[in-house]
Amino acid sequence: MALVQLQNASVVFTTRRYKNVGLKDFLLRGLFRRSVNPHITVRALDRISFTLHQGDRLGVIGHNGAGKSTLLKLIAGVYPPTEGSCRVEGKVAALFDLTLGFERDASGWENIRYRAYLLGETPRSLEPKLQQIAQFSELGQYLEMPIRYYSSGMIVRLGFSIATAVEPEILVVDEILSAGDASFREKARRRMDQMISQARIAVLASHDLNSLQEFCHQVLWLDRGQMRMLGPAEEVIAAYKEHCGLRQAA
Amino acid sequence: MSWVPAETSWQPPWHLGEAIAYLRRIWQRRYFWWSLVKMDLRTRYRGTYLGLGWSLLNPILMTMVMCLVFAKLFHQPLATYAPFVLSGLAFWNYLTGVVIDGCHCFRRGEAYIRQHPAPLAIYPLRAMLVVWIHFWMAFLVLLGTVWLARGSLPWTTLWMVFPAMGLFALLGWGTALVMGMVNVWFEDTAQLVQVVLRALFYVTPVFYDADLLRKHGLGWVVDWNPLAACLEVLRAPLLEGRAPHLEAWAFLLLVALALLGISAGLLARMERRLVFYL
Repeated sequence: MALVQLQNASVVFTTRRYKNVGLKDFLLRGLFRRSVNPHITVRALDRISFTLHQGDRLGVIGHNGAGKSTLLKLIAGVYPPTEGSCRVEGKVAALFDLTLGFERDASGWENIRYRAYLLGETPRSLEPKLQQIAQFSELGQYLEMPIRYYSSGMIVRLGFSIATAVEPEILVVDEILSAGDASFREKARRRMDQMISQARIAVLASHDLNSLQEFCHQVLWLDRGQMRMLGPAEEVIAAYKEHCGLRQAA
Repeated sequence: MSWVPAETSWQPPWHLGEAIAYLRRIWQRRYFWWSLVKMDLRTRYRGTYLGLGWSLLNPILMTMVMCLVFAKLFHQPLATYAPFVLSGLAFWNYLTGVVIDGCHCFRRGEAYIRQHPAPLAIYPLRAMLVVWIHFWMAFLVLLGTVWLARGSLPWTTLWMVFPAMGLFALLGWGTALVMGMVNVWFEDTAQLVQVVLRALFYVTPVFYDADLLRKHGLGWVVDWNPLAACLEVLRAPLLEGRAPHLEAWAFLLLVALALLGISAGLLARMERRLVFYL
């Protein structure tokens, strides 16, 4: 049984204006405490609670910086909840920024392997999927080349092909319903549709309200890390649209 | 399907059972870190004519230079001094590799850490294994040198080198992990350690005999230096055909235990939180 259960889950972390402590900062700290490089507390998610069962499709909307990506990373296990709890049962596949995490000096083929191994594949389990991934990416001969010579579109193709060569129980997707050029986008869309319908639970964050309405039963509206509204897709999306419209009018 | 679930709830590797579970998770990802190690080995000398040969040639050239000066200075015959320096340099290259590459291990793995919750210890493991394999290659050159200089190898004690290499791997893993963690928090570490390493080089009997210091009443410098102990367990069976001093082994085991404790503590605290600091 796949399950995603958040109870008052918060993600709070402190950072510094200049990211990390440097030597100068370290030495000066005694003199100009706080003023040089103050701590900034980021409350990326604030007391989020919801439960997703088998068959649930949750859309996540909100402005930039509302905490959508943080929520997805929390579910994927990349971030821990700093307060509250987050329980996830089932195999998770997460599609975040597809261009991240490639070894630039390695070839396309090798990168397929690294990524798949990271996700827990073994050479044996990967072998039958290799061709399938390569075929879907349509990169052909280019797969022999180091990634450093790829265009950004080619990298997206590769990333998407690897990330979607899975049949996960829980699918977490961050704004990639539009990947690559027009012809690839259509194909990617079909693959996404298929994945979303096959996954036991899907959580999708997107600014594309129409496709969210199409896929999701429920929508969560995040506003500055807090739950603004959670309910049936049409209702929440309508309220969100109204809110955006009001802001534009004002 | 073998896609491993995202480990969203787990305990720090503090108790034995948890430590074993943690090691098992590292083992489950072996194909991942091993393929990265292989890539690192391949790309380190990318575009150079000699490729991996450089990791063999580097200590040899250094040894030749050192022999030119110090064999005379220390009144040592070349046949004993050359393998002595070579063994010292081979170990030293390993140490600097572990420390410097260790500093950057989590940053290099940042894109992976941001996407998938794999055990963090695999990133210092990757850094260590790459230099450890280079260490082995230097070791083969060392064997050849000993054979050339002596006409034979110390067969009866040679096996003792292997547990030493294993211990070096363990120490290196812990060192890389600690350096990596410290460097994430305090980014000047990578620069600072270069100075520290340079200083350590001169208080460690890499190119001079430890007895030389003892004669001048500086014995404590080497007796309390874990790096000197490392050289003892490497050199004694290989160059002198005797078992290393027990104190050296005991000392190193203590250091390894301490490192293990520090690493486990750091992991317990940072395993899930490190991603916030990257």
